[in-house]
Amino acid sequence: MAKLLSNSCSQSSSVTFSSLHNEKLCSSGKLKVIPSVSHFSKWAPKISARIQLRSHFELKSSNGYPLNAVSLQDEGSDANPQAEEPHFPELGEGDSTLSITVVGASGDLAKKKIFPALFALYYEDWLPENFVVCGYSRTKMNDEELRNMISRTLTCRIDKRENCEDKMAQFLQRCFYHSGQYNSEEHFLELDSKLKEKEGGRLSNRLFYLSIPPNIFVDVVRCASTKASSTSGWTRVIVEKPFGRDSESSNELTRSLKQYLTEDQIFRIDHYLGKELVENLSVLRFSNLVFEPLWSRNYIRNVQLIFSEDFGTEGRGGYFDNYGIIRDIMQNHLLQILALFAMETPVSLDAEDIRNEKVKVLRSMRPLQLEDVNVGQYKGHSKGGKSYPGYTDDPTVPKNSITPTFAAAALFINNARWDGVPFLMKAGKALHTRRAEIRVQFRHVPGNLYKRNFGTDLDKATNELVLRVQPDEAIYLKINNKVPGLGMRLDRSDLNLLYKARYPREIPDAYERLLLDAVEGERRLFIRSDELDAAWALFTPLLKELEEKKIAPELYPYGSRGPVGAHYLAAKHNVRWGDLAGDE
Amino acid sequence: MATLSSSKHCCSSSSVYSSSSSFGFHQPQRNIPFPVVSQKRLGSKSVSWQSKCSPSSNVILMQDGALATKRVATDEAPPSKLKEGLLSVTPPEEHKQLMNFDTNADKSTVSITVVGASGDLAKKKIFPALFALYYEDCLPEHFTIFGYARSKMTDAELRNIVSKTLTCRIDKRENCSEKMEQFLKRCFYHSGQYDSQQNFVELDKKLKEHEAGRVANRLFYLSIPPNIFVDAVKCASLSASAANGWTRVIVEKPFGRDSESSAALTRALKQYLEEDQIFRIDHYLGKELVENLSVLRFSNLIFEPLWSRQYIRNVQLIFSEDFGTEGRGGYFDHYGIIRDIMQNHLLQILALFAMETPVSLDAEDIRNEKVKVLRSMKPIRIDDVVIGQYKSHTKGGVSYPGYTDDKTVPKDSLTPTFAAAALFIDNARWDGVPFLMKAGKALHNRRAEIRVQFRHVPGNLYNRNFGTDLDRATNELVIRVQPDEAIYLKINNKVPGLGMRLDRSNLNLLYKARYSKEIPDAYERLLLDAVEGERRLFIRSDELDAAWSLFTPVLKELEEKKITPEYYPYGSRGPVGAHYLAARYNVKWGDIGVDE
Repeated sequence: MAKLLSNSCSQSSSVTFSSLHNEKLCSSGKLKVIPSVSHFSKWAPKISARIQLRSHFELKSSNGYPLNAVSLQDEGSDANPQAEEPHFPELGEGDSTLSITVVGASGDLAKKKIFPALFALYYEDWLPENFVVCGYSRTKMNDEELRNMISRTLTCRIDKRENCEDKMAQFLQRCFYHSGQYNSEEHFLELDSKLKEKEGGRLSNRLFYLSIPPNIFVDVVRCASTKASSTSGWTRVIVEKPFGRDSESSNELTRSLKQYLTEDQIFRIDHYLGKELVENLSVLRFSNLVFEPLWSRNYIRNVQLIFSEDFGTEGRGGYFDNYGIIRDIMQNHLLQILALFAMETPVSLDAEDIRNEKVKVLRSMRPLQLEDVNVGQYKGHSKGGKSYPGYTDDPTVPKNSITPTFAAAALFINNARWDGVPFLMKAGKALHTRRAEIRVQFRHVPGNLYKRNFGTDLDKATNELVLRVQPDEAIYLKINNKVPGLGMRLDRSDLNLLYKARYPREIPDAYERLLLDAVEGERRLFIRSDELDAAWALFTPLLKELEEKKIAPELYPYGSRGPVGAHYLAAKHNVRWGDLAGDE
Repeated sequence: MATLSSSKHCCSSSSVYSSSSSFGFHQPQRNIPFPVVSQKRLGSKSVSWQSKCSPSSNVILMQDGALATKRVATDEAPPSKLKEGLLSVTPPEEHKQLMNFDTNADKSTVSITVVGASGDLAKKKIFPALFALYYEDCLPEHFTIFGYARSKMTDAELRNIVSKTLTCRIDKRENCSEKMEQFLKRCFYHSGQYDSQQNFVELDKKLKEHEAGRVANRLFYLSIPPNIFVDAVKCASLSASAANGWTRVIVEKPFGRDSESSAALTRALKQYLEEDQIFRIDHYLGKELVENLSVLRFSNLIFEPLWSRQYIRNVQLIFSEDFGTEGRGGYFDHYGIIRDIMQNHLLQILALFAMETPVSLDAEDIRNEKVKVLRSMKPIRIDDVVIGQYKSHTKGGVSYPGYTDDKTVPKDSLTPTFAAAALFIDNARWDGVPFLMKAGKALHNRRAEIRVQFRHVPGNLYNRNFGTDLDRATNELVIRVQPDEAIYLKINNKVPGLGMRLDRSNLNLLYKARYSKEIPDAYERLLLDAVEGERRLFIRSDELDAAWSLFTPVLKELEEKKITPEYYPYGSRGPVGAHYLAARYNVKWGDIGVDE
């Protein structure tokens, strides 16, 4: 098995095909750490050229147009246009340090995802040598209490248990807590002096992770930016969805954030983009000869993006009810995957080049029509003596809520590559399975010699490429082949790659990847504001119409396969959902 | 799992891939509702076309690869009788009468005569395959099996010999002994000389007895040395042909040893048989994955667009055995590996691989396309051939003999036991794509596979991730014919984890894992096809001519110039010359890459 080596040096567990090459890479430092450097040192002159350009540039990119300008600015990866330092902070060197402040440290996301992800990065040696993690929230707590709280959720990789306890203790020693109000500049000033203390005069980079409700985003950004920005290194802010609830509110949020931050300091996280198989999507397309020729309307009949959860809001529907499944899943996660899937080949793998292509896809899309959408809401259901509550049974949800917990939609991209190919999306809560996958159904074979063997339903016999994002990551390609034996019977079987079987190592959580990328200034997996605008522009009219017309969702039982309306929607576009076919 | 099925009329009910449609690739012969059959018939143009002929006026012009025929329509055959009646060589009046019966109906019977019944092939392959067909109910209700050879033997003795090699499918053991017994009761023996018409007349009489007045079809399997092919065919044809059904003869390789001898053999056979009575077997064509090759190409949208010089960099056809001649090199020494494996098995697979889409799946359409490929091929240059011969080798205290240590092989033999060759097809689809063949005995493993290496991705975005060796990162489709049948497609994907490292992994389909049923032996399929008159997997004489004219010049040159083979140790990976040959065409053998 050949391993095609790239720039990861710290993972020693895998076999590399050229140890020489490997040495060379590793000796030049932790290449993965600084993306611009990972283009190898011959690129350095270009980079310094970019830095000079950058200081003359003012970013105004909320309309999604000045793309090349954005790309000039972002390329340099050190984010802070004010900071004119000529060299890049070499993380891991003795003279620079990283402070990660988790704002909203007592919240659920922080406990379940952010701290464990940070620990995993530390455990695998991805973080710079000098770093501190600081929790910030309103709760009164001391450092010990925070450590205590965090330590309960930390785990080690299943496949690498040695030193786990030691490492945990070391990690916790780097965690601190500061209690304060989210809108108090004074409290952030205190935070700043604490951070300075830990930084000990080194060149300091600061990352703020906003794990807080959207209504206080702007306050926190204001305080953090004016009072706790790094003076010598970069300052970056990670924000989580929701980024508004329609075009206007999203624009408003972006405008407000931009009062205090430049575009390249804002890291809008979409954690689906950090999933292993979503990352792999581009690799599959662009590093294999066999897929790219097929990647167009000539061969692809339809594309399906499917997301389902097997649980409902479970008493925490307050936030959800204000947004609904379309905003919560489709407009961001599924649409982002669609854009990655459908984009043209970018000039390079650099963040700006990829995001330029994604935004082109989004802007080529036909606005969503009401008749191309099916909405649903789960209702109570009893099965086997057990009773599952309906959505409106959730005490945090208004009894008369018509918020969709399920939606299916048909989208179209009006460009040369995809004209007429339906992209079907489906997302729902309280369905019978938990899964996220991308299914690509190919056209039928023109003039198929074996049509007699297929009976009349040629469409049942088409090839299909499935990328299962979760659970059990896998890639498989459904092909027709002959059933072994004396007759000539054809069978649809799979050429498959099950990750579990091939890669026994645990696959890192999406948050690990995204946090690391933010630390490294790699923006590929974060949403640029023009992308966000384009995404909202696509969904806002539809969402408005749904709400104005008070379209009642089709009710479906908890744990079922969702409303049948989704099938009629698919049928209208001559598609059959791949996930509910008999052979899955 | 969706099943797209249409089963051959026979038999096995064990498969879980049940089917609702009953019409299929092979002509259903039993209780077929009429409309279905007529549909089948629409699809089988050439079959119905042949149905209009009076066999006696058949003129098949072989050499140009197209079936030019002058035929006179005699009558319209009832659809249910299509193949069986029409491809036979019976007098027209009997023909007509015959058509009123289904082959499997009460009044018809098949007699299968294995000529050379005491030989190895008969014992190891033919009788067991016949039994397997019987066991799975694929044979007609009335059939008899006759062994014919020079040894003196009684029926009981034959049954005794045969019974030792019969086995039941691993997955279907019930009733096995019973079935065996029933099968053995249908086996008889007749001893006689291969060139004695008298003895064949006696055979005929015995066969008639068993046929008991039914419509009788007769299949002769010639499992005998090539020098007595013609004698046996003459006697069988003149003295033991079916009087009112079809008579077919299965012949095994070698079909000559060069263009001339092959043409002479064909001519001689044609004195006694029509082309459509001759079934030249190439048992590689009966292998499951070779059969599947066309299915993969033509029933999947995703492969056909890639199937040309635009995307395919090279194709490799690899055959290796991990044993030598083991004291039985007498026959082999006269032929050598090129004639024994390349000119037939590998070349046939190549033709199937590279052919254009046929008009239909009918035998004539497929063979027309194959012959076109063969005739488009550039003559093989001697520079493009590397030959080798294994020498003795001692490993771990065990000593393996060299080829010339074989007592049946002359000490100074130059016969190649290994050969690699680069072939080219001069047509629009394949111009410039090297087709590399490699076949050898006494190598380090036993395998047969087809490897398709794709070009590299133009302007690959991940160049930096690959380091410099782009060729290592190309896609490859591998069809492993044996052992452990499998199909896999090597793709590049990201190694899970932080960072961006790429890895070549496989999208794969291992037959063992997906299909628990035992895969039938190639001989079963081919015997059944011969009984059914399905010629798709048999070699037509124009194909044979084309195959010989490709190899004959280079074989002659090798022999005239007494080219010395490169020696390689028994159990090794073969002569390194094969690598230099590959390197000349910028190819790397896929089977001995580091990642295999």
